[in-house]
Amino acid sequence: MILLDFGYERAATLQQAAAWLARLGDGAHVLAGGTDLLPSLRAELVSPGVLVGLSGIEPEPPRLTADGSIRIDALTRLSSLAHAGLVREKLPMLADSALAVGSNQIREMATLGGNLCQETRCLYLNQRHDYQFAAPCFKRGGDCCHPFPRNDRQTCWSVHMSDIAPALIALGAELEILGGAGMRRIGAAELYTGSGLQPLSLGRAELVRAVIVPPPPPRSGWGFHKSTVRGGLEFGMAVIAVSLQLAEDGASCCGARIAVGAVRERPLRLESAERALVGARLDDERLARVAPDAAKALNPLPHHGFTRRHLLDNVAVYLRRALAQAAERARTGRA
Amino acid sequence: MSELSYVGKSFRRKDGPDKVTGKAMYAQDVKLANTLIGRILRSPHPHARIVRIDTARARALPGVKAVITVEDTKGIKHGFVETPRYPPDQEVLARGKVVHVGEEIAAVAAVDQLTAQRALELIEIEYQPLPAVFEPEEAMQPGAPEIHRSHPKYEGPHANIGGNTETAWGDVEKGFAESDYVREDRFECQLRTHGYLEPQATLAHWENDKLNVWTSSMGSFVKRAKLAKTLDLPYSSVRIHKTYVGGTFGGKIDLYSHEYCAARLSMITGRPVQVVASREEIFSAYRHAQPLILEIKTGVKKDGTLVAQRIRAINNAGAYRGSGVVVIFLAWGFTMIPYRIPNLKYEGLSVYTNHTVRAPQRGHGAPKVRLAIESQLDMIAEALGIDPIAIRLRNARGPGERLPNGDDTHNCGLSDCIRLAAERSGFLDKFGRDRKSPPSGTIRRGIGIGVSAYMGGTLIYPNGSGVIVKMNDDGSAVVLTGAIDIGQGSETVISQIVAEELSIGMDDVRIISSDTDTTPQDIGAWISGMTYVTGNAARQAASNARDKLLQVAAEKMGVTVDQLVLKDKIVCHRLDPERRMTYREVIAHSVATRRGDTVIGEGYWRTMRDEANHPSLATTKGRWTENYAFSTQVAEVEVDIETGEARLVKALTVHDCGFPINPALVKGQIDGQISMALGHAFMEEVITKDGYTLNPNWLDYRMPTIHNMAISEDVDVITEQYRVGQPYRSKEVGEGLVSGILAAIANAVYDATGVRLHSTPFTAEKILGGLKRLQYQAKTARQAKTEPVRA
Ligand SMILES: Cc1cc2nc3c(=O)[nH]c(=O)nc-3n(C[C@H](O)[C@H](O)[C@H](O)COP(=O)(O)OP(=O)(O)OC[C@H]3O[C@@H](n4cnc5c(N)ncnc54)[C@H](O)[C@@H]3O)c2cc1C
Ligand code: SF4
Repeated sequence: MILLDFGYERAATLQQAAAWLARLGDGAHVLAGGTDLLPSLRAELVSPGVLVGLSGIEPEPPRLTADGSIRIDALTRLSSLAHAGLVREKLPMLADSALAVGSNQIREMATLGGNLCQETRCLYLNQRHDYQFAAPCFKRGGDCCHPFPRNDRQTCWSVHMSDIAPALIALGAELEILGGAGMRRIGAAELYTGSGLQPLSLGRAELVRAVIVPPPPPRSGWGFHKSTVRGGLEFGMAVIAVSLQLAEDGASCCGARIAVGAVRERPLRLESAERALVGARLDDERLARVAPDAAKALNPLPHHGFTRRHLLDNVAVYLRRALAQAAERARTGRA
Repeated sequence: MSELSYVGKSFRRKDGPDKVTGKAMYAQDVKLANTLIGRILRSPHPHARIVRIDTARARALPGVKAVITVEDTKGIKHGFVETPRYPPDQEVLARGKVVHVGEEIAAVAAVDQLTAQRALELIEIEYQPLPAVFEPEEAMQPGAPEIHRSHPKYEGPHANIGGNTETAWGDVEKGFAESDYVREDRFECQLRTHGYLEPQATLAHWENDKLNVWTSSMGSFVKRAKLAKTLDLPYSSVRIHKTYVGGTFGGKIDLYSHEYCAARLSMITGRPVQVVASREEIFSAYRHAQPLILEIKTGVKKDGTLVAQRIRAINNAGAYRGSGVVVIFLAWGFTMIPYRIPNLKYEGLSVYTNHTVRAPQRGHGAPKVRLAIESQLDMIAEALGIDPIAIRLRNARGPGERLPNGDDTHNCGLSDCIRLAAERSGFLDKFGRDRKSPPSGTIRRGIGIGVSAYMGGTLIYPNGSGVIVKMNDDGSAVVLTGAIDIGQGSETVISQIVAEELSIGMDDVRIISSDTDTTPQDIGAWISGMTYVTGNAARQAASNARDKLLQVAAEKMGVTVDQLVLKDKIVCHRLDPERRMTYREVIAHSVATRRGDTVIGEGYWRTMRDEANHPSLATTKGRWTENYAFSTQVAEVEVDIETGEARLVKALTVHDCGFPINPALVKGQIDGQISMALGHAFMEEVITKDGYTLNPNWLDYRMPTIHNMAISEDVDVITEQYRVGQPYRSKEVGEGLVSGILAAIANAVYDATGVRLHSTPFTAEKILGGLKRLQYQAKTARQAKTEPVRA
């Protein structure tokens, strides 16, 4: 039960929503599918005066643009994203990442934009605070950090657990951001600040309008893995997304994009690992060397009961497997 | 007996259509006009003195109709156990101090949720925090923060002892001395919770000096007794109504503070008051199961014969006595039943900590005890070079064996269970296979076995069940039973028994159940005895009505009763079926000739008619039950040795459940317990820090989903029979089967990987850690071999 009084406005267009946000200031918050926001309202992590609802806006179906990119409306529900023919065919990794989110019911409501803009999570944060952890932590504007008492007030080690963001980063996607000043376009990774306190780089009245994914290059392949305990209806312990491109020789790597989510305040791109792969032959030995180094470079935060040690071990194995799978797909041309 | 038409058959559940069509009314669905919302104010501290409570501002808030604290109660305490040794120990609202996070301090009734919430925020409380302690072994240390005084009869050196159980037979020390092999191990379990989907919910309405209550429960008569007592009302002033129940698993026995508060607030306001606990409250303030620490030392002969066993169980019992002193008593029972152990010593300690209070959870300690014993038994077998089947068969108890407390095993089918389980699973062919010759790839398969036994229908208030069968004059019947159907199917089973005894159709039986005003007293659905105790009461009631029908018919037809048979609502002559009367005619004749007797049958049943009310929790003296169920379960698991991830692939349950009245319901219980055990084994844990719950939601408390279900097969070893008109024995089937399979999973993980786990859950991290240790040991062993020995 949500024990708050708030107003509700239903926007007819995204422009209108952005305009209302600009006018209403901090007291307003957009509501897309609500699957992330409503639990936060319940826990009183946010207490907006007005919710600006986006559910009255019909999303455009995913489409191919002139340059061969695929443009996906931010309001697309995850269930349609996961099953859209164009997306399944051209961007199977994106479809799989959408299918990894929550459960059927959640995916029917959840939107792509909401997924990217979801709050960071922490066991001490995602609950009501009437008698548990009643003292507000830094993220709630207070004066402590419950799991990490030695953190200072600039530091919140909550983690960003989107399943889709790593896939988009690995696919080299860009985002259309709609704001008072018009449109701007940023790389998917740039949506995130890396601060657990303020995870998104969006301005107050800015909204994600669309995601634009370039066509996967020739001889490329992908690997995606969400580590979980029970394999569904669960946020990831770590989310790994990889795209690899093979050179014309069909053996050495000429492009790599690796992103890992759920283990840091933002989905992280692993550039050092990418560098270690580009120009090299993608044999088992190399992958077995690169993956553990990459996990270490990631420096995972312990979260949701998982120790740093275990996250390192888990990411090392599944990153290697994802890389091997991507290399195999790139070699065989199979999706 | 092929004669049976209803009993022993898989009839569809009586409650099925209501549930799948959404018609079933749960406590939360009951709506009364002018209902107020009740909310509870809970402690933000694990341990603190309450210096001052001021409710004035909350009372003054418009829309608030009542606010209560302990000062508004009669101060009558309650407890899960209420015996001379363990008197009630808990107030319905905290008095003077709080001992766990979430403890109930005050309650409000208001016109809506928001007002109730604001009222809670306006209650001012001044606390003086006290040092708190969360681990039982720390709480036991002399000088640890005192949560409550140790029990006056406890004479040992430890602090915070809520109760203890001690017992022994034979001479363990001598037994260890005579053993060829002795080993000691320690096992621990995580904090788990029941995971009932329907939240705790109560609607209370005080009207015309009568308290009407709808509450999610597993025993209406226990609820009535405890509510009446704490409210200081006669039982006749409290009526618990029937509602459907959406899962309990042990978590809804006993009195909960919110039930008292709903009732008291209604008595003050004169309006109905509804309290529904949020899922977060259930996770962070309500009762969970009991994490046990088990220290176990066992001595055996070379051939695997058990000679001596010493067990010490330490229970993290939470902040009040709860069922903590029961679990340490039962742990003893789960130790001594399945195997013959000539020398045994047991000590159980229930230790107060600043955690929430504990309740039984399906199996009430058995999973943890059997995990320890069965894991260690496999270790012993391996050390002696005996296989897991042989060591179990060597020690398994047989039929009619005397148990140390004076009980006996009756028709015990344990050896058959073990043999059949081995045979059906191909155990010995599979056992050790992947360790001996590891397959390529990273997946290893393992098989493991576990044995368990469980008692049914143990005596505790209200100790017995009554049933009334009223014949309608068309020959159909109405059954009045206090039995509460919590999903186990009691109404279906009772209908089958009544239909069988009366030879009427399933649709001719209507059940009126679990209403304390209109139905007879019943033991409740929480001591694994409903099919046996209430079932026998129903059998007796139906057979009582049947006897009356036969007598009336015999009189009218001028024959003796033994010349008559009943068939499909007709009484007819055994040799001349044309001489017959319909039930309608018989009943009309009874009304006409027996001063209006409409034919009503009465039945009642209690376990063990010659036994005192319950065994001694402290000394274990006394018999408990006439029925022990025995089981053997086999697990097959797969482990990824690179990641440590493991899963249950297949489960086999071979059990002696006496006689299955409804095989499909038995199967449902088995499958449910397999899934519960795999949750225990691999994923579920209430994570706490300093008494606060970190994962008070379904996302982060991971119960298994459909994707985690394993193949579950089962075989019945039938040791009892059902005969019309005769008492029957059925054995426990609803909670004993979480245990053997849990142990079997542990043993299977070992079989797959060589990693022996001493604590649940078996997370990927623990398994991987074990694999790394094994690799390291193998490496150092190789180095030791290749390094020249230095003189
Ligand atoms: C039971 C459960 C399981 C879940 N499991 C997963 C999971 O496995 N993986 C996962 O990634 N997530 C999971 N989630 C989180 C959430 O459901 C998803 O991330 C979902 O995609 C959020 O989308 P939404 O449209 O519902 O977002 P909303 O709740 O409507 O919004 C989330 C946030 O984004 C903002 N927002 C929404 N749309 C835009 C936009 N276009 N531009 C800018 N800001 C916007 C909102 O203001 C809000 O702050 C789970 C949630 C629940 C309740
Ligand atoms: S990590 Fe962040 S969200 Fe978690 S308690 Fe610390 S400050 Fe709060």
